[in-house]
Amino acid sequence: MKRIITYIRRKLSVRVSLWVVLFAALIFNVALGFLFYQSRETVRQEAISHATQILDNTALRMESILSRVEKASNYTKWLIQRHPDRPDSMFVYSKGMLQNNPDFFNCSIAFEPYYFKDYGRYFSAYTKHVGDSIRTVLGGSDDYQYFYMDWYLMSKLLGHPCWTEPYMDYDVPTQTNEMVTSYCQTITDKQGKMIGVINTSLSLSWLSQTISAMKPYPNSYSMMIGRGGTYFVHPDTTKISRQSIFTQTMLTPDSAMTALGYAMQHGEEGMKQINIDGIDSYVFYKPLGQTGCSMAIVCPESDIFSGFDRLRRTIIIIVTVGLLLMLFFFIRIITRELQPLQRLAHEAETIASGQFDAELPDFHRIDEIGQLSHSFGNMQQSLVKYIDELKDTTAQKASIESDLRIASDIQMGMLPEKFPTRADHDDVQLYATLTPAKAVGGDLFDFYFRDEKLFFCIGDVSGKGVPASLFMSVTRSTFRTVSAQESMPNRIVTTMNKTIADMNKNNMFVTLFVGVLDLPTGRLYYCNAGHDAPLLVGDGVNTLPCDSNIPVGFMPKWIYSLQEAQILTGTTIFLFTDGLTEAMDANNDQFRVERINEVAVRALANHQQEPRQLISQMTEAVNQFVGDAEQSDDLTMMAIQYIMLQSDVKMQKSIVLSNDTREVPRLNAFVEEACEAVGFDKTVTMQVRVAVEEAVVNVMKYAYPSGKHGDVKIETAHNDQRLKFTIIDSGKPFDPTVHTPVDTTLSAKQRSIGGLGIHIIRQNMDSMNYERIDNLNVLTLRKKIKR
Amino acid sequence: MKVRIEEIDGNMVAFMEGSLDTSAAAETEKAMSPLYDVEGKDIIIDCTNLEYISSAGLRIFLGILQDAEEKGGHVYLKSIDDNVRDIFKITGFSNIFEFI
Repeated sequence: MKRIITYIRRKLSVRVSLWVVLFAALIFNVALGFLFYQSRETVRQEAISHATQILDNTALRMESILSRVEKASNYTKWLIQRHPDRPDSMFVYSKGMLQNNPDFFNCSIAFEPYYFKDYGRYFSAYTKHVGDSIRTVLGGSDDYQYFYMDWYLMSKLLGHPCWTEPYMDYDVPTQTNEMVTSYCQTITDKQGKMIGVINTSLSLSWLSQTISAMKPYPNSYSMMIGRGGTYFVHPDTTKISRQSIFTQTMLTPDSAMTALGYAMQHGEEGMKQINIDGIDSYVFYKPLGQTGCSMAIVCPESDIFSGFDRLRRTIIIIVTVGLLLMLFFFIRIITRELQPLQRLAHEAETIASGQFDAELPDFHRIDEIGQLSHSFGNMQQSLVKYIDELKDTTAQKASIESDLRIASDIQMGMLPEKFPTRADHDDVQLYATLTPAKAVGGDLFDFYFRDEKLFFCIGDVSGKGVPASLFMSVTRSTFRTVSAQESMPNRIVTTMNKTIADMNKNNMFVTLFVGVLDLPTGRLYYCNAGHDAPLLVGDGVNTLPCDSNIPVGFMPKWIYSLQEAQILTGTTIFLFTDGLTEAMDANNDQFRVERINEVAVRALANHQQEPRQLISQMTEAVNQFVGDAEQSDDLTMMAIQYIMLQSDVKMQKSIVLSNDTREVPRLNAFVEEACEAVGFDKTVTMQVRVAVEEAVVNVMKYAYPSGKHGDVKIETAHNDQRLKFTIIDSGKPFDPTVHTPVDTTLSAKQRSIGGLGIHIIRQNMDSMNYERIDNLNVLTLRKKIKR
Repeated sequence: MKVRIEEIDGNMVAFMEGSLDTSAAAETEKAMSPLYDVEGKDIIIDCTNLEYISSAGLRIFLGILQDAEEKGGHVYLKSIDDNVRDIFKITGFSNIFEFI
């Protein structure tokens, strides 16, 4: 069953055909139904009319027969009553009755006992047809005392002529029986006394034949009942006179039959639909005049409607076969019409498999199939076009992506990759990582060493991706440029801010933390521009107190504040961007400062605050936290650990000069002495002498207002690694380390003397370090002691 | 710091002796002022005994050179020892002077 349903669902032709056939069948049903109903009605009416007509006809005939009998009887009675004493006439009259009426069965003129004394007790002139002749005999004997017969008594008792119920008449000479009904009429003498009876009989079988002569239908039959309901005429001859119309109903109650019987008895005329002996029939009934008898024609319905039924059957068969054929042909036709669709479907498969150039079939049709095929062709063309466009776009995208990758490489390349090892720097350890969220990012960090100071910064450009990365590059190069000229973070940031704000058309900005760690002293100078405050991990975990200022880039006139802190040996400065605090897990929870603190505390407890270790711990903690969630922002961390161990200082000496260049020889002697103490050779000593002289002369010439006297103190000390000279004055703030380098490639004409001194110092000494401490300029020159 | 100027073989020769540091610069400059009046002759500065020089001294040398170049004369530095030579090198002065 399921397979059939699936089949129907799959096949359009079958479905459409079924629908068509269904509707056709419906229409046929309604139309034919109506037609059949009407036709049947018509047939029924016809039958009724036909049968009724025949019934009328037959009744009429019957009545005429009966009437004839009565008339004949009357006439004979009149004849007899004219001469009631001539017995011979009786034979004549009796014979005459039959002669004139050949269809009468018999006639007997019977008289009262001993009426004709000559003939004894019995006298009955009895005439009967025998073969072709008429036989008249004298009837009546001891064996046949007719006085007690119904036909003799009935009219006598009733006082008027009447028809008897059917009875069997036994003919002695021929020894035959015949069922008859008789019309009996009393003969009276002049005094009105009954003297005899005329009895005229009709054979019931003859009656039956007559009645049944006209059959409306092959299986219809007629019947006649008498006054009491007894069958006079019936196709089943055994019922005649023995049974009445009510007999059957006594055995099996049949209200319809009973009703019919009563109706007929009451002389009604009409039609009833009754089931007689198991056969549905129409019964048309009519009384026969005044006789008290009633006739009925029974027409089996099957007879009436047989023709109709046959016709109906035939039509139904024709329609059914026709519809089935229709179904079959429709399926075929529609399937054929839809074949192009199958072909289109096949070609579509080909196209779908990648052959966009497949040749679509052209059906040269303008109907729906043709339109569909046309649309298909359009779709195919569009597909080809779009796929080409897609290929182009994908190629462009790949090209952009490759550019992005290169940009990312360039950007990553700009970040410092080499971190100082212990061998490079015994005073500070540094490590940093930057993980961009997209190919290129907006976070930045930078560091470099200059004049025994570590310049470093960390920052976060607003936004991500290419715009942020470009801004990041600008910021970084600005940092480098500005901090070459300026050692104080607040001035560095202020200048950076002005520079960047002046060229910032897109209103981007960058949060920044700039720090300068003076390596000899561990003094940290810093300036925070809207960035997260770093942690100090050393003596516990603390947050470096930061003024928040404002991020760099959008208010060019802002002056940033300077802050200072002393960094103890062993302490790590931990810097980060908000990619760390705002790292999100799958539930959009953030990592937060609290967790950073926790990790730092744990690391400190495990003595793992060394930069690489600390950053590795933090990275692990963040990765675990974030899990599989996508990285939402650039993540940058930088850790700077101050590890400067002050090694033993040996030989500390100092000298104070006034700001007069004539003191220089004293200075030079001082320096020579110090150099000798550490074992420098002549060359090195001279280098040192020149450098120190230049530095001191600079102070002498420019620190104090001209003409004003000021002191210049020169200290010297050395440890295992270095010899240092510290030049201290209380003059105006002057940082020699930030002045423009000298171009030593210029020609004599172009050269100037200015700046030469500082250049010499840088060249000859290993480091030059300037601090402004307590209103004093403190310039420290160091030379490594090579061992 | 001692300076002696002589004319030898048609050249003005200045003999330097001692340390030319900032304190000696003023005097030395005065002592070498005759070299500014030299015309049509080359100047040789004999640095055999020059022990030391600092930027003040370089300034003097530069002045002499600039003046001589204007007049079309040459300035030669003679027998500079290595340490002093270093200073000339690191300041780039070794590019503008001629050494003999």
